[in-house]
Amino acid sequence: MMCCQRMAAAVAAPAGPVESELDRSGTEEDPREAVSEEEGCPQQQAGAPSSASHNRLAKLPLSRIKTLMKADPDVTLASQDSVFIIAKATELFVETIAKDALVYAQQGKRKTLQRKDLDNAIDAIDEFAFLEGTLD
Amino acid sequence: MAERPEDLNLPNAVITRIIKEALPDGVNVSKEARSAISRAASVFVLYATSCANNFAMKGKRKTLNAGDVLSAMEEMEFQRFVPLLKDSLEAYKKGQKGKKEASEQKRKEKDKKTDSEENVKSREEENEEEEERMEEEETKEGEEEEAED
Repeated sequence: MMCCQRMAAAVAAPAGPVESELDRSGTEEDPREAVSEEEGCPQQQAGAPSSASHNRLAKLPLSRIKTLMKADPDVTLASQDSVFIIAKATELFVETIAKDALVYAQQGKRKTLQRKDLDNAIDAIDEFAFLEGTLD
Repeated sequence: MAERPEDLNLPNAVITRIIKEALPDGVNVSKEARSAISRAASVFVLYATSCANNFAMKGKRKTLNAGDVLSAMEEMEFQRFVPLLKDSLEAYKKGQKGKKEASEQKRKEKDKKTDSEENVKSREEENEEEEERMEEEETKEGEEEEAED
């Protein structure tokens, strides 16, 4: 998992300006990408029921996912379908880890999820072992 | 083009929404927890990509395809994701097919226009679509192989 940690170190760096971004994949990325991003853009699916959006559209911008994938020097090309599936899988992952962390918050009789709840979940759950040491 | 560090993070607003939709009403998430989940998501993408790429290389393919990603999910012990991902993929492929037909129609209409601005725009879209098509053609071969199993 060393390669993971190396790349994760790059990711763990500044989270600074992210808060102010417009979250419109079209503004940050190459405008050409905006055409394929339409379906994934959150602003266009305001109010779409989560079951429908689970079935079709990705909430995460595919161009950003693709950028991440290309950070791996061993990856030559990735099909559009594969980028989409990784985006979808990442959504599922976020849901899963949030729910698992919530258990610890509830154990502590809290209604706010905190960083330590996440750490506990990562320590306790096998599937999250790959995250150990990558979030600091 | 050099990648800025922020390019390796996923949009905070989207991550926040995904978290909120997963949790019951009334539950809050601290900024630190949110930020950690966002970083975890990026690590997940990197890890999944790396695993999927191993399957592609095993199959002597240079293009990572959807099947590789599904195999990676099983390897990573996220097999419970697989059925949902398969469904989503079906719907996505149908949507892509419809979009292609729609944009081909658009292009036919645009070809009729003599406005130079329009031509530049449509050329840019064409270039982008050709890229997609190239990738998809390579995928189709791979996917057909998978389908035969």
